[in-house]
Amino acid sequence: MPVNPVTCDPLSSSDLLRASARRRYWRGRVQRVLVAAGASFVLLGLFAIPVYLVAAVAASRASAGVDWAHLGLLFAGSLRATACAIAVALPLGFATAMFSAHFCAPRLRAWLKPALEMLEAVPTVVLGLVAATSFAPWLKSHVATLLALLVALPALLLAAGFAFGRPSRHDGWLPLSVLPLLCAIVAFGLWLSSRAQAPWIVPASPWNATLVGLALGVAALPLVFSVAEDALFLVPREQTQAAFALGATRWQALTTVVLPAAGAGLFAAALLGIARCFGETMIVLMASGNTAIGGFDPLIGLRSLGADIALGMPDAAPASAVWRDLLVATLALLASTVLLSLAAGFVRARLQRRLHAGAAA
Amino acid sequence: MNGTRAATAATWMLGGLVGLCIATMLGLLFFTLGSGLASLRPGTLERITLADGSSRLAEVVADDGNALLLRTSETRRLGEGYERVRRGDVVARRAPVDAFMIGLGDGRRVLGIGDDAALAAAVGSVGALARVVEVLRPNALGAFEGAGIFLRRLARFVATPPDASNLAGGVLPALVGTVTLVLLMSVLVMPFGVAAAVYLHERRGVGARIVRTAIDTLAGVPAIVYGVLGLGLFVHGIGAGIDRWFYADRLPVPTFGGGGLLWAALTLALLTLPVVVVSVEQGLARIPSSLRDGSLALGATREETLWRLLLPAARPAVLTGFVLAIARAAGSVAPLMLVGMVKLAPASPLDGAFPYLHPSRQFMHLGFAVYDAALASPDAIRGVPRAYACAMLLVCVVIVLNLSAILLRNRLRDRYRALES
Amino acid sequence: MSNSVTPAIDGGASVSREQAAGAAPALRTRALSLWYGARRALDAVDLDVPARRITALIGPSGCGKSSLLRCLNRLNDEIEGTRVEGEVRLGEADVYAPDAFVHELRRRVGIVFQRPNPFPLSVHDNVAYGLRLLGIRSRRELDERVEAALKAAALWDEVASRLDDGALGLSLGQQQRLVIARAIAVEPEVLMLDEPASALDPAATLRFEELLHELAGRYTLLLVTHNMQQAARVSDFTAFMHAGRLIEFGDTDALFTNPRERQTEDFITGRYG
Repeated sequence: MPVNPVTCDPLSSSDLLRASARRRYWRGRVQRVLVAAGASFVLLGLFAIPVYLVAAVAASRASAGVDWAHLGLLFAGSLRATACAIAVALPLGFATAMFSAHFCAPRLRAWLKPALEMLEAVPTVVLGLVAATSFAPWLKSHVATLLALLVALPALLLAAGFAFGRPSRHDGWLPLSVLPLLCAIVAFGLWLSSRAQAPWIVPASPWNATLVGLALGVAALPLVFSVAEDALFLVPREQTQAAFALGATRWQALTTVVLPAAGAGLFAAALLGIARCFGETMIVLMASGNTAIGGFDPLIGLRSLGADIALGMPDAAPASAVWRDLLVATLALLASTVLLSLAAGFVRARLQRRLHAGAAA
Repeated sequence: MNGTRAATAATWMLGGLVGLCIATMLGLLFFTLGSGLASLRPGTLERITLADGSSRLAEVVADDGNALLLRTSETRRLGEGYERVRRGDVVARRAPVDAFMIGLGDGRRVLGIGDDAALAAAVGSVGALARVVEVLRPNALGAFEGAGIFLRRLARFVATPPDASNLAGGVLPALVGTVTLVLLMSVLVMPFGVAAAVYLHERRGVGARIVRTAIDTLAGVPAIVYGVLGLGLFVHGIGAGIDRWFYADRLPVPTFGGGGLLWAALTLALLTLPVVVVSVEQGLARIPSSLRDGSLALGATREETLWRLLLPAARPAVLTGFVLAIARAAGSVAPLMLVGMVKLAPASPLDGAFPYLHPSRQFMHLGFAVYDAALASPDAIRGVPRAYACAMLLVCVVIVLNLSAILLRNRLRDRYRALES
Repeated sequence: MSNSVTPAIDGGASVSREQAAGAAPALRTRALSLWYGARRALDAVDLDVPARRITALIGPSGCGKSSLLRCLNRLNDEIEGTRVEGEVRLGEADVYAPDAFVHELRRRVGIVFQRPNPFPLSVHDNVAYGLRLLGIRSRRELDERVEAALKAAALWDEVASRLDDGALGLSLGQQQRLVIARAIAVEPEVLMLDEPASALDPAATLRFEELLHELAGRYTLLLVTHNMQQAARVSDFTAFMHAGRLIEFGDTDALFTNPRERQTEDFITGRYG
């Protein structure tokens, strides 16, 4: 096929080319500077937070000393709420992560992940609303029922699995196939509780740490799930295949190969879940009663650092001792969560290096 | 064999826990949506006869097993019609077909029984003193009529402002406030988010590692801390400064020195920055490097490759980041409580007077409306259904946004698969 | 001046091989060495690529053929930890001069990769990409240049009716020709091709080799191939590399029938691959 020469002027014979080459080079340099400036704003934003807090506390001319006792109560309150919350979030989150990464049928997983992302998207105000207004009255008279269900559900599931379970191809759909059993257990428990005349355990107040823990645990669940699942997926497939080749069941492969390898990642997920619960405000604000009480009783109210800040700050005068104390509380909150976050990041990075040192080479 | 059975049992327990998870999530969503819808649905009017011979024409609002909460006719004051009767005292309950309900503009409901002439007379006498919003016979509604009433109530809820007590009427200012806030925030966060993501994608050295750690740390900071920064630094610091220099004649009434739309948008921009950065960076990282090499090989500078080829190819990821940031902002209440959100704003931040957007004004927010209606109102019975209605709206918006983000991400994944194959 | 743009010599009648031997080389390397971190990939390569001829680069895998190409248009600059020593000259210009405009160099020394990598744009916009970078905005001029480039790449007849369709919808052979059209639209002096036909089926490969013959009249072609028969069919000159060194360079017929070096002979006869 004949080659047709270009009918326009050759590009290279023009000054256009020389000038444009220089212009494009300098335009690229300017854009690079702008991008770096934009990125440095991120750094600015990050450092503004602790710098401002520390500077404002240091510059405060309030005469009274910091009310450490009150701060301690708030810290203890936050801890109590977090403890109750992770009692819900960790088992459920880990279980879901282990199931999703190791057992789940791919089609179910395609729905499971987005579903948990939806849960994460639900605003915590809404969770607090449901907890404080609809769940609290029920819980007030059904604490014993709740505890009984918490114990009975795993136990009965184990028993049922022992009695009726056979390893099968359809294990990947277990959550759905076991759902009827779950509903039956819960319905039975509720029926039993309705036969009782009076509640066995009566909490001092309907707004208590247990209520907060349940709602907060549900809020932190998606985060724990996603971090734990990422960690479990880091374990190379070859290792689990090797376990299968030696005759292990899926569960045995999970407990003997995957969990020991990715254990650090689950630990990181727990740290991040704790950080999340520690810093959450709206749920605690709505469901905890906001009474600053110490102690370990899960059935009395509490006041968390975040709630204290949210309630106190709008009305506090910037030069007052109250303002300064609230800033100190903010610093405590910030320091705790950032330390937990950094620790989790460090653990995850080390896990990544350890599991993929071979692959990277 | 015992080991296998134990393993299967454990697997069942695992599956059961996951099922519990799924059930909780679905239950939560349906409960919220259902409660919200229920608060807008026209309920049946019942004639309840008590043991002492008296009878009430009322709507049964709540039933906790021991007592019924009734809402009877309210002729003078909103809320005066609520009454508790013990279950044991109820002798008979009937739903008369000719019962009617007149809804008034301030949320009051006037109930009665009678034929159309009686209804017209009642409407006339009530309407002389107050604005009549709806008239219906709840017990005689067909399915379509009921749906129509519901939709009209929903439309009114969304499109009209609330009354003075903030317990009746619609949530329009909250919606407008939320939307304005979110848009202003995006204008602030998108440029910086994209810039930071581009920086992380292009550079490898120490600077990139620092920025990446910064983003990860920012993602873990609790939302309320951002609120404190917004209040302390932006409002009392920068805002007060702006007031002293530019608006000194208006002091001591603060212009920018008090909470407002601008500071709230800035605070939320910082809050949602990590979301945008992560999303855009992931999008850029998934573009095959052969594309980049091809562009460089043609004589493009790295920056030209970025702006002309890579970012346009990563457009779905940028959009995803935008959508997720908006969803996050719509759901964040805690920081906004400190920087300018109020329960009843004196003036809307968006109105017809130039310059149309008033970033110094306070605003209302849908999430805060939920909190306020549920807890801050003196009367929980009226507040809670309203709170659920707001919550339902909020959850719908957030779910739609997140679903579109997921769809965008799937489309991005398919597009890259086509590129790589 | 190292950034000067030397005018392209207009394509005239092809010069015979004997005459070409005396013309100035398009690309010259002197003692070119390349390190990826601590690993040495190229060892003091002295190569003269004759102008407007097809030069084939053969050798066992891992011998540095692709690395050499990437040195010539400084694509290796994009990889961390690379170090280059020695000299590369494009005509009179020093490619590695510190003030050289790399993007202009890459326009003049184009490259086509093993797998076609069309952009996720339309056929027309793919070819016009490089032109738009140069600041050409007029729709008419863009269309003209796009058409000329596609004709030169022997693709015009197949895509003339679907210029606005996505380039990813073309077959692999068409995509590879599209990539060539894209490269020659910006009027390079040298066109480097890194195993360009390895992803194509035999029929498409044959057509591709015909295209190379047509292009050789106007551009200097440097072709890396693992297929010795292809090298023998297509090229005028051949360079044999092994373990980062240039072992032998010469006229293709001469090198294949009568190689000077023992290593070349071993490779050609298949003693190792």
